[in-house]
Amino acid sequence: MYLQQLQLKQFRNYAEQTVDFCAPKTILVGDNAQGKSNVLEAIELLATLNSHRTHRDRELVQWGQAIAHIQGTVTRDAGPAELGMTFRQKARRTVAVNGQSLRRQLDGLGILNAVQFSSLDLDLVRGGPERRRAWLDGLLVQLEPVYAHVLQQYNRVLRQRNALLRAQAKRLRGEAVTGDRSTPLLPETDANTDNQALWDAQLAVAGARVIRRRSRALTLIAPHAQTWQQQMSNAQEMLQLTYCPNVPLPAEDAETKIPSQEIVQQAFLAAIRAKATAEYHQGMSLVGPHRDDISLEINGQPARQFGSQGQQRTVVLSLKLAELMTVESVIGEPPLLLLDDVLAELDLTRQDRLLSTIQDRFQTVITTTHLGAFDAGWRSGSQVLEVKEGALRSPSLS
Amino acid sequence: MPGIGPKSAQRLALHLLKRPDAEIEALANALLEAKSQVGQCRQCFHLSAEPLCSICQDMRRDRQTLCVVTDSREVIALEKTREFRGLYHVLGGVISPMDGVGPEALTIQQLVQRVAGRSPSTPQEIQGGQPSTQASNLPKIKEVILAIGPSVEGETTTLYIAQLIKPFTKVTRIAFGLPVGGDLEYADEVTLARALEGRQELE
Ligand SMILES: Nc1ncnc2c1ncn2[C@@H]1O[C@H](COP(=O)(O)OP(=O)(O)OP(=O)(O)O)[C@@H](O)[C@H]1O
Ligand SMILES: [Mg+2]
Ligand SMILES: [Zn+2]
Repeated sequence: MYLQQLQLKQFRNYAEQTVDFCAPKTILVGDNAQGKSNVLEAIELLATLNSHRTHRDRELVQWGQAIAHIQGTVTRDAGPAELGMTFRQKARRTVAVNGQSLRRQLDGLGILNAVQFSSLDLDLVRGGPERRRAWLDGLLVQLEPVYAHVLQQYNRVLRQRNALLRAQAKRLRGEAVTGDRSTPLLPETDANTDNQALWDAQLAVAGARVIRRRSRALTLIAPHAQTWQQQMSNAQEMLQLTYCPNVPLPAEDAETKIPSQEIVQQAFLAAIRAKATAEYHQGMSLVGPHRDDISLEINGQPARQFGSQGQQRTVVLSLKLAELMTVESVIGEPPLLLLDDVLAELDLTRQDRLLSTIQDRFQTVITTTHLGAFDAGWRSGSQVLEVKEGALRSPSLS
Repeated sequence: MPGIGPKSAQRLALHLLKRPDAEIEALANALLEAKSQVGQCRQCFHLSAEPLCSICQDMRRDRQTLCVVTDSREVIALEKTREFRGLYHVLGGVISPMDGVGPEALTIQQLVQRVAGRSPSTPQEIQGGQPSTQASNLPKIKEVILAIGPSVEGETTTLYIAQLIKPFTKVTRIAFGLPVGGDLEYADEVTLARALEGRQELE
């Protein structure tokens, strides 16, 4: 997989810019706030239809303009493809493949694959569970684009069910204030119960799809992460990645076999029943993959509490390398690697390890403020582009 | 108003302000009249100026097959396909707790009565009000096609209705070719026609 060309029109601080990628590694060098990360953001958008910096399309449009357009020319084993996205100040975005506007934007996923690594990724170890869920979900979308739809469905059902529970809780409180003491401790039995049972079932169906896919993705990536951590710690550190679903999964028969959709749904419904009273009184969904986590342990100790800074950095690098390998093995082609400001933060040993892993196999785009910040090995054979005030150019030798 | 942006709205308002009073009055009356005349069909809840809409009145149509949709716009879209010759039932929305819409806010109860044969079904019965013995011998509804868009809310509504009417009749749903998460309204006619052909019985 190779991104040959990227075009930016009225995107962030770029008025009009074409970037031709002519080496396996491209280094974007420039001062702060010149537009380096904006280029990576455009690539991220083409790969995932998402930006980790914003959920609002209008922020992507250059100030004072109405629309922005980005386009990538990708070569893959299956042939070339052109992927375009148009963002609007006041209307919905459109996604186009080979000039054809897509009815379902999700169909634009899977054309370009990219793994990102920025200094923010330290939150993977230090941050809360939502950060790790977002990471796993992002990986899943790359592995199977339909997951974007699966997750969207789950979140929608969750919001509807929460609205239903909230309304019930409100009614309950209203009754408790005005009525006598005979407030029901358990959900009433009327048409509402039927209605809620349906939302329970919908949540279990949509949720089980999420759980099974997360579980499967984790079994794919965990061994890779373990191998990398071992290599980088000279076999001193054993990294254990474990999926911790909020819905307790039934004991698996074989070692890594994931229980069937049916079984997970049953477990989900049982978990809902167990929390019925609490949900009824709190007026929100307390059970489901929106409360999942992934535990990261080094030699049996949680990396979040006990890992040293250096160990935590190594864990993040292991996770990123594992992501690269997992995407490559599932997609069958090496994805792009986007390194935002992160290379200079790694010590020389880790820089070396990363370099020897990606070699020329993974197309890599790197941002930095100083070319001298990393090992010369990175510069040889790389394309260097200077970024200044929303424009890119090859450095002059003078 | 739907489909009118701020600029068009301003242009319309300025235009109206410049017209003579009589013209404005005529327009206002026309709107009021339209509003008071156009109501809902008593049987299927499609938009209609008469108590019974033209589709329900049409005796050439298959009265044993019902197609359940959320909105009158979808009746119009489905009529354009000419694929469906039965009668309709317009729900008036989908179950959506976020918008405060529960099953009781829709015409689901009326649908159940219709399917259970507890409501009059021929134009004579409805308009005349006399229950004829012959009418009650008329063939009952043999199939209900649920043509509700496949959104999360549409899915829940489909399941809710299916569970209520399954004791009385065969229940199918359109399934093929619709864009996932899309609205029936936006599906093109070819897609809709194919979707009707490919309907499946609900388990
Ligand atoms: N919608 C927009 N229209 C115009 N300019 C924008 C828009 N959004 C962001 N910018 C500008 O883009 C610049 C930020 O670009 P970017 O984040 O790519 O910087 P960077 O080169 O990565 O800097 P750093 O080294 O600090 O990370 C800022 O100057 C910001 O004002
Ligand atoms: Mg930056
Ligand atoms: Zn009618």
